[in-house]
Amino acid sequence: MSTLSALAYVQAMESMQAVPLTEFRHRRLSARPLVIIPLAMAGEAGAPLAAMVGSAKRNGTLLVVAQPRNRDQRFAFAADLGQVVMDYIDSFRQDRRGEGERSRYTDAPQILVPNPGGIKALADLGRMCRFRSTSGPYAVPDAVPKFGMWLTFLVERAEQAGTSMLLPVTGMLAEHWATGQSTIEDQNLASLMAWIAPPPGLNVEQAMAEAENPDVCPPAGPSTSPEFDNRDLAPAIRRFDAARTLDDPHALAATERELRELIAGQIQPTWRMVWEAISLLRSVPEAPRTAKRFERDCKAFTDYSDYRDSGGLPQRKRDAAIGAARRLGWLEHALAEFESDMAFDDRSVLADRRSAGEAFAGMVVEAEPSRTVTTAKDRRVPRPLVTVRTDDPVRLAADTRLISPSMPAGHKAMIVSVVRDGDTTRVTVEVTGGMGRGRIPKQGTVPEPGQRVAYLPDPGWRPAPQFPASDATPWTHSAADEGDTDSAVLDDAAAEEWGNED
Amino acid sequence: MRKPVDDRLTALRGSAKRLDYSARSLAALENNPRCTLRALLDASGSDKVAIATHAGHPPSFGQSSFAITRGNAFEAMVKDNGCAELLRVLRETLELTLPEVGYEDLNDAGGDGRSKERHERTEEVLLRAARGEGDGTLFDHPMLRLQIGGHKAYLEPDLVAFRIDGRFHVVEIKSFPIIDEQAAPSQVRAATTQACAYIIALRDLLGRAGIGEETVSDTIVLVAPKDFTNRPTGAFVDARKQVAALTRQLSRIERIGDLVDLLPEDLTFDLAPDAEDRPRRPAEELTEALDQVLATYRPDCLTHCEMAFYCRSRARAEASLDVLGPAVREQFGGIDTTTMVMGLARGELAPSEDQVEMAAALRHAARLRAELEDLGGAA
Repeated sequence: MSTLSALAYVQAMESMQAVPLTEFRHRRLSARPLVIIPLAMAGEAGAPLAAMVGSAKRNGTLLVVAQPRNRDQRFAFAADLGQVVMDYIDSFRQDRRGEGERSRYTDAPQILVPNPGGIKALADLGRMCRFRSTSGPYAVPDAVPKFGMWLTFLVERAEQAGTSMLLPVTGMLAEHWATGQSTIEDQNLASLMAWIAPPPGLNVEQAMAEAENPDVCPPAGPSTSPEFDNRDLAPAIRRFDAARTLDDPHALAATERELRELIAGQIQPTWRMVWEAISLLRSVPEAPRTAKRFERDCKAFTDYSDYRDSGGLPQRKRDAAIGAARRLGWLEHALAEFESDMAFDDRSVLADRRSAGEAFAGMVVEAEPSRTVTTAKDRRVPRPLVTVRTDDPVRLAADTRLISPSMPAGHKAMIVSVVRDGDTTRVTVEVTGGMGRGRIPKQGTVPEPGQRVAYLPDPGWRPAPQFPASDATPWTHSAADEGDTDSAVLDDAAAEEWGNED
Repeated sequence: MRKPVDDRLTALRGSAKRLDYSARSLAALENNPRCTLRALLDASGSDKVAIATHAGHPPSFGQSSFAITRGNAFEAMVKDNGCAELLRVLRETLELTLPEVGYEDLNDAGGDGRSKERHERTEEVLLRAARGEGDGTLFDHPMLRLQIGGHKAYLEPDLVAFRIDGRFHVVEIKSFPIIDEQAAPSQVRAATTQACAYIIALRDLLGRAGIGEETVSDTIVLVAPKDFTNRPTGAFVDARKQVAALTRQLSRIERIGDLVDLLPEDLTFDLAPDAEDRPRRPAEELTEALDQVLATYRPDCLTHCEMAFYCRSRARAEASLDVLGPAVREQFGGIDTTTMVMGLARGELAPSEDQVEMAAALRHAARLRAELEDLGGAA
């Protein structure tokens, strides 16, 4: 965090209202996102209790597991939810453009959950479903393993910075607004909304108090409030169980209805709040480079969709050494690119980097526009020198490659020297690119004295790292019992313990 | 002449019954070791829930009955039939060669469920085992005792296993899942810290009989459900660092006198309850007393300390940067309040010598913000 954004939080706390951190919304918001609010049973691993799902505020579907400990009901729920999600995903597999390698879908799904816990709940659900077998002793409906694999794909994609196929709403809000509370409290959707858009008639302080009162604002999940569990849910589940034991269809229907109503009461406030947050986010203009990142989402979506169509295996339980290293490389690169994209698009984010000394802006005080050098290939090329005076606390070193949001596209430069001069700093850069092909730079491609320019580090292109073939992994990086096979399905996967009674 | 420390702690607690340390409250020591308020409330055995509630900030972390039921059912299942499932985990998952097994139930001492009697029986049985007499290898719910700040605290681990490598191992049975050999780090950490208290107590018990501390392993055995099933799996967790940390915290409790000495002589957290246990002491008077003690609030206190809501409201009232959490706080080393930050940023306050650099960064940030506002950007 930079001093500038830290200051925004302090300002929010002092003024008791949220302070925007960015000029733009850097995440794409689909015209038709699918909202899922997963609820899980406390104390039990991957025991879904309910979910509300839908792609419009007015048509949310509530799915409930009456007895979350019962694994048949659990997978029936997974099949129902899976059907809704798969229908949604399939609706994006219609319009495809381009030929051969470049062929891809023109749109991609977007699933929104209230908070990071929601992503964890979907990850657990994906892990629980993707290895299940649709035949044999513990067969599950066809939709279940497919749903599990898609969920796992979306969860893994969500780890990559700048992607938009699966996002927590709290994260999107907190990227744009600073509040006068901590990160922990910001993960509570109601608390966060209390700062950004308190309910009518309440000030931020009152709204914050209500947000933490589970009787007014039920938690946004995946856990329900312990008071609700003990006071309402546990007795209702007991009544359902009793009706089932008695095999009384009327009582069963009545107790099931009661459970649905109870859970609806807990989940609907969050449902409304998520949609409210979405319309708030829509009012923030989308950053220009979001479109470029969305292209990559479409590509990833197309690739995975084709892989599924070709009968691909479920994702493995744990990455092997090479897969993990490759993935880490991608994640790092995506993060660097996303940060640079944001600073390029957004003056507030650029200011943030400047405050941290990772970028600078200032006035050109000297320029040597006609300087040329001879390359190793004996070509004379323009390499103008430009000196910028800045108030920013520059912490970049010589030889750092730079890009500039204030110059024409393609402009590249490299730091030659950074010299402190009283309260200011003089940064001399050599312009290395974006000047055209001639020996004399094109008009307007070299900053002129008196001009204001901004520079930030170039995340650059990085070659894909080379790894040994999977059968040539050194013993230090291969697990003896796995042998790094391509088979992602482990033998015991389908035989995972089952049992309805605990 | 000041009163001895114990009398002063008793006075702090007042008329309420003393609450002893438990494995849970000991584990909390490690979470926020610098908090004086927490240290005093725990050392004096005060009822934090009652105090926080009367001060107008009741804690909110109840436990769901589902979690409790699940925890108990899982533990019972692991221990069924003389710990058959546990043995399977130890032998198959953790690949231990265990000799013949002797299960000892220490849940009561010949029908006596009182802590003191159970502790005596535990002591007798464990010492016998340590000396190579008797054939006990698994001890179910032994009752350990630890002397903390001159008070006895009884601690009850789920299970202690002997003869894994010829040493005692604390076994923690938890109901959070280990999915694909990974469990939630925060839950593992909480379980480990709790187990550390048992390790220290166990070493203390054996140490009193002249048996060295190496007899108790500082690796704990964590037993938890595998993936999404009800069947247990196990893992070794290295607790060395946390044992050292907790030992250090315990030795600090012995020096609680230093903290007590800083307090006004007549300070008390007494709620002065009536016959029906309703507090009669005016709430304002109680908060005044609490306000006199230094509290180190951090947002993560909200997840584990009963006093957290009170401390947060106090931090808010003081405009303390603690409210915003460590990420923001770290940016302003040496500055405590929002008032000070804003004052320096606006150039209304003159920085002290060690604030000069910070003030320059703040004024720069404020200029950037003004620049953005001029450009019609975010503000």
